[in-house]
Amino acid sequence: MADASPYILITALIASLMLIGANALYPQQGSVFGSLLSYDRLGGFFGVVTLLVTLFVTVSSVVVTNERPNAPLYYSLLSFTALGMLILSYAADLLMLFIAWELMSLPTYALAGFEKRRAQSNEAAAKYAIIGALSSAIILYAISLTYGFAGTTQIAPAVRAIASQPFNPLASTAILLFVVGFGFKMSIVPFHMWAPDAYEGAPPTISTLLAAATKKAGFVAAIRVLLAVTTVYAVTQNPVFSTANVFAVLALVTMTLGNIAALTQKSMTRLLAYSSIAQAGYILIGFVMYAYSTGVGGYQQEAIIGMTGSLFHVLNHAVMKGAAFLVASLVLFKLRRADVQAYGGLARRMPVSAFTLTVAFLALAGVPPLSGFWSKVLLFLSVLNGPYSWLAVAGILNSAFSMGFYAWIIKRMYMDESETTEKVNESTGFVVVFAVAVALIIGLGIFPGPAIAFAQNAIPTIFAR
Amino acid sequence: MADVVFFALMVVAVGGAIIALEAREIVYGAVGLAGSFFGVAALFFLLDAPFVAVFQIIVYIGAVAILILFTVMLVRQERWLKDASFSVGQLAGILTAGATAVALILAFSAAKLWEVTPSSNPPDFLGIGQLISTEFAPALQVLALVLAASVLGAITLAKVDREEKVKA
Repeated sequence: MADASPYILITALIASLMLIGANALYPQQGSVFGSLLSYDRLGGFFGVVTLLVTLFVTVSSVVVTNERPNAPLYYSLLSFTALGMLILSYAADLLMLFIAWELMSLPTYALAGFEKRRAQSNEAAAKYAIIGALSSAIILYAISLTYGFAGTTQIAPAVRAIASQPFNPLASTAILLFVVGFGFKMSIVPFHMWAPDAYEGAPPTISTLLAAATKKAGFVAAIRVLLAVTTVYAVTQNPVFSTANVFAVLALVTMTLGNIAALTQKSMTRLLAYSSIAQAGYILIGFVMYAYSTGVGGYQQEAIIGMTGSLFHVLNHAVMKGAAFLVASLVLFKLRRADVQAYGGLARRMPVSAFTLTVAFLALAGVPPLSGFWSKVLLFLSVLNGPYSWLAVAGILNSAFSMGFYAWIIKRMYMDESETTEKVNESTGFVVVFAVAVALIIGLGIFPGPAIAFAQNAIPTIFAR
Repeated sequence: MADVVFFALMVVAVGGAIIALEAREIVYGAVGLAGSFFGVAALFFLLDAPFVAVFQIIVYIGAVAILILFTVMLVRQERWLKDASFSVGQLAGILTAGATAVALILAFSAAKLWEVTPSSNPPDFLGIGQLISTEFAPALQVLALVLAASVLGAITLAKVDREEKVKA
């Protein structure tokens, strides 16, 4: 059944990527749609990241959905999710943020259960939908409390209103609820429990979208609301519970637990899910220094380096994890296996996939000269001076530790013998995406300058006051 | 007096929600859900928000609960849930919910909300309509997309994959 829907979506995605790219190069500040959306570079940055991942997913899905009768529905749901993430990236109003959040989430619940005859897919969809609904309810509760203080749903004035209420327990509650609500989508420990099950059960192309795109949308929401609030508001009078400390502990726990859990996984998708959790921990490191700097004063340079590192790592992680998950999709689609054993001798059977996975894994571990190295360097540099230097040590140890399971898989693919050496046809759509992703990972590793500038430019407009 | 009514309605709302989740027969669950919606609607009346209350009754009790009952009638199945024994996860869930409730109660009582004087002019329908059609008009449009997306999602989940059926 020839079907035009994926090509329409691909055209639309490329067109919007080019538009946003042009706007990112020649930005005009200001707001459109009244005051509900802001027209800034932070939105542009996350718009590029999320649309790029959606484009990867769409191009590689063409082969997978080719024989399925519901393919047009698949692509329309994908387009709604993409639009939701895009609006979320630009949202300047809590109401718009919530509606965009729902527009992003609702289609993914149906997409996670797209393979209706597979019990695991149904379980994943049910679990993901329930946890997603819970997190939406928590965010809505936080928004209503914030509205109670501020009398407005505009993010910037609401932040100022919360900041003017020192040590109000209800304001602290609202912030805590935001942490929990966004934390679910960002899959930060201890709100990560759903992620491995959902990623494993959902169709793997959709897991790619969840791990590489909707997760990043959670980060932009957190930057716009949470970071803006916490930099001006101390949660409690006790300095031990400062927001920077809270972020630091969350970052440490998230990366350590994600890496340790990834080491013991037998299934590739679960391994990638836990590694994705660990990467969220690295991204959080940049938040720590930003919150600390605005809370204490000083350390401005480090704060900017940290946030640049966070944003750059968001971009890198989207590409690296997107590529790795899509390799897992192709292996599952062709070999019908998701266990780690299936990757033995893969280099001889599917050379392009094996090479892509190798590059993505090396970049995820932070091996120079790949893109992941630079963002990690920025993140660890930012905390090296000052009270959080232990976080840099922990991050480096974690990276070294994660190399253990990444190298183990790479060794399996290249050194081990497979049961058969029969060549597997690697679908064109996937190969194109792999080529673009590998080019991005290596290109941003050798010439990181423009991407770092792009990330850095997105920072100052976070707190338009 | 208002306090007594408030607590009675709260019992109806929370009790209905518990029945909706725990009932072995889905019909009872649906009725419990309708009861919970009714309790929430009455709470909105009590809080001087008749607009929200009326919508709650029309949309949730009038449409959602009735739709669920219709679906149950069309899809005849004797028992929807297998008998689940009490598990550690369940206990952990109840404890977490209890702890969250205690924490919220502490936060709300520490915030001294009773000292806040309520706004003297409650929102009227006209004002809500004006806001929706002017300042929040883009949000309303995106909301329409959310509805479209959920309808598509429902179709995706409900539509039979014919080819897959043949293969299976």
